Amino acid sequence: MKLPGFVNLFGAWFLLALIPLIILYFLKLRRPKMEVPSLALWQSVVNDQRVNSPFQKFRRNLLLLLQILLLCLLVLALMQPFFQADAEVAEYKPLLIDCSASMSATDEFTGKTRLELVKERVRAQIDNLTGDQRISLFAFSNTGRRLTEFSNDRRALLKALEALQATDMPGQLDDVLRMAAAYTRTFPIKTVTILTDGNLPDQVDFELPFSLDVQRVDAGGPNVGITEMSARRSGPEEWEVFVRVSASSVDLRGAELQLWEDGEQRESHQVEVSNEESERLVFPVTARQTKPLEARLVPAGFDSLAVDNRVWLTLPAARPLKVWVSPKLASWRHAVRVQPNLDLEESETAEPRGAEYDLLIIDEDGAGSAEAPVQLFVGVVPSDLQELIKVEEDVSSVVDWNRTAPMLRHVQLADVQIGEQPRLAVGAATKDLEERGYEVLIDGNAGPLMLQRREGLSVSYWFTFHTDRSTLPYRVGFPIIAANVVEAALKQASLSEVVAAATGVLPPISVDANRSYTIRTPDGETLSAEANVAGTLDGIAASRVGRYDVMDGSNIVTSIGTGLLSGTETSLKPVEELRFSELTVATDEAKQLDSDKPFWWFLALLAFGVLMFEWWYFQRARGVMV
Amino acid sequence: MSDTAPSQLTTLFDNSTLNQIERMRLKPNRRLTNRARGEHLSGKGGSSTDFADFRDYVAGDDLRYVDWNIFARLRRPYIKQFQHEEEMHVVLLVDASTSMLFADKMLRAKQLAAAFGIMGLQNVERVSAYAIHARQDQPWMLPPGAGRTRIRKLLKFLEGIEGGGNIPIEKAIETMLRFHRGRGVAIIISDFLTFGDVSRPLNLLYSAGLEVWGLQVLAESEIHPNVQGDLRFVDSETQETLDITNASELLNVYQDQRIWLQNALHSMCRSRQGRFMSVSSGMTLPTILFEHLCRQGWILR
Repeated sequence: MKLPGFVNLFGAWFLLALIPLIILYFLKLRRPKMEVPSLALWQSVVNDQRVNSPFQKFRRNLLLLLQILLLCLLVLALMQPFFQADAEVAEYKPLLIDCSASMSATDEFTGKTRLELVKERVRAQIDNLTGDQRISLFAFSNTGRRLTEFSNDRRALLKALEALQATDMPGQLDDVLRMAAAYTRTFPIKTVTILTDGNLPDQVDFELPFSLDVQRVDAGGPNVGITEMSARRSGPEEWEVFVRVSASSVDLRGAELQLWEDGEQRESHQVEVSNEESERLVFPVTARQTKPLEARLVPAGFDSLAVDNRVWLTLPAARPLKVWVSPKLASWRHAVRVQPNLDLEESETAEPRGAEYDLLIIDEDGAGSAEAPVQLFVGVVPSDLQELIKVEEDVSSVVDWNRTAPMLRHVQLADVQIGEQPRLAVGAATKDLEERGYEVLIDGNAGPLMLQRREGLSVSYWFTFHTDRSTLPYRVGFPIIAANVVEAALKQASLSEVVAAATGVLPPISVDANRSYTIRTPDGETLSAEANVAGTLDGIAASRVGRYDVMDGSNIVTSIGTGLLSGTETSLKPVEELRFSELTVATDEAKQLDSDKPFWWFLALLAFGVLMFEWWYFQRARGVMV
Repeated sequence: MSDTAPSQLTTLFDNSTLNQIERMRLKPNRRLTNRARGEHLSGKGGSSTDFADFRDYVAGDDLRYVDWNIFARLRRPYIKQFQHEEEMHVVLLVDASTSMLFADKMLRAKQLAAAFGIMGLQNVERVSAYAIHARQDQPWMLPPGAGRTRIRKLLKFLEGIEGGGNIPIEKAIETMLRFHRGRGVAIIISDFLTFGDVSRPLNLLYSAGLEVWGLQVLAESEIHPNVQGDLRFVDSETQETLDITNASELLNVYQDQRIWLQNALHSMCRSRQGRFMSVSSGMTLPTILFEHLCRQGWILR
């Protein structure tokens, strides 16, 4: 057992008050004089062995001893003693509180949320805060934020703690750990404490500069929730809507899955799921116009987490993909034309007639002022890379390519012969391309053969060689590349596949460029956002499940619904270990938040008891004095 | 002092009490008498006219005391004995030190001394009185004397004692013995609260042919003190002080010590063929005389 520590050691100086106390005691002993006939008998009494026994001597000085005891107790209380926690005494304690969606899971019997349990522990820690200790509260869900500076101000800490609420987002440790790590440069932080329900990704990409103390509360009750919602086009106006329902409990739990369309229930299905057996349901939906859908889950019994029971998905209006291919790129035109649901502009002019397309396949002549979210340049080096890449008259070959890139999926390029040789300038490297926002998809023997660049909602692909001067159009991979680029355009235009938006950040929203909009959140709060030059609203935080209305004045421009859509959060499954880069940290449910326990109040109470005893002992009625 | 009317013989008690006292006499354990003739019966055969007993004749006896009538019947000589009345000396020692000035101790001591003295004088004993005090302006001794005419002198002597000083009882007894002659009874009326050793003066009294009667007079506050808290006791005689803490806690020990002192004094007196009794000054004189002393056989009615 560790010896108790003292917060205010200087309080020991008050022990010097013992000197005046003893002096005053003896000065106070100006006993009332009483004349007696003779002292003979009283002298015998005083000389009696019983009177001089140790106990009687103690009783003789009981008042002084009680006063010394009282003073010592008060001084000890003033020194603010505390029992040191088993954990290493840390003056600076960052407490990382999990506020992810699973922390709002309630217990079936107590009705308390995980966050409330954590708050109770943290509240005790704050109450037991000793003078030289500082606590900083951090909250994290998919990202981290600091609630308070390192402080021992109980009121400020408690205020921040009480204001803390669980978000509707999945938990991620990386950001908040980096934030805490940043503080290690300023404060001597030895241990960082994480208070969580353990529902976190077990793999964390972070190198720990401090020891980590992960303490978790027990998981909530049984839960059923929607973990996926997406739609895939199955015809010109037909869609297949997929909804996955998962559960946290081992036993099968029933629920009714309802599909709502424009505020009306369209379909419903009974599902029975467990933590090992999720159910994926398909709803065929016809959508000529933009159609908002909502999936609602009505659990049959107790449901620990409510936020994962509603998901929104908006199906776009049915239309063919609008494509323009440069007239000189006959091979590409032939390859694209065979794709279904396509509106390929058939014109022999060098420039497109329209202004907006879904896909532009462009050669060195360009496409005029036409714009498309997906553009494929053939035989063109981006203008900002002209100084880095030179195309020489030489033969080149493919060295490697990014097989996982959607553009090159299922494409074999090993034996492609190319009659041009894009070459990196002397001193230039791939890093220079990446700095300018380009990703190399195909590497040639002298330089990049294909580049990709994402800019806002649009993506552009660049063949730095002309495909007609290669064997690529004769290879099986060529129509696959054409199909991939069409697929990318379809996805970009949300014409082939749409996925329900998850909480965190709203997906980019296409609006008028350079205009201000107001976003009304599910909580009723309003946010202001400015559309960029490209006419996109992006980076809008969406921490709550529900509908976000984008408003231009009082008019609703568009609505986007967000759902939790996290299998991890719905499962409420705690991880037993967190695996860091070089370390594994166990999460411990039984472990309580260990804190120093001050007991000055006990000493003060004891002193009060001594005072009461002294009063009773010396003031009790004893008859009349002679 | 008593509220006795001026017509009374003494201020110490009223005449009715005096009348009762005059009919009483002392009853010593031993017959320590003087050769001088008195009214106190001697253990030895005497020459009075009152028959006492017979005894066998032994050679040398005065033939005048042979009972010839018995000799004629039994043919054996018996000597006829008569009661012999001798004078007994009654010494009264009255402790008049400062410690006796508390409550009614002094008054009760003087009353008792007067009563014992009157009993002695009424029975033609020699009575002397000594007052133990340190006052130079007051008499401290009444020389021995007998006869009823001495009663007034005795009462006057006792009434005149005011007391004071810190002469210990043992020292006073030694002083008294320097002046005293004669056998009899020494009645010491005191509180016996002394730091000294009382056994030595008692031995001296015993050796001097005096039967020791110790009569301890204590105030009610000495028998049952009611004290509490931290006190500084001041000795009334020596002005010495003694600090007592939590006095109420020591009362049991005090009682034990008081009883031990009584037992010790009783034992010392008994071992010298004497008597000892402790009385409270709160008791009335008739109560002490007619109940306690009579019952204990100190006096005869």
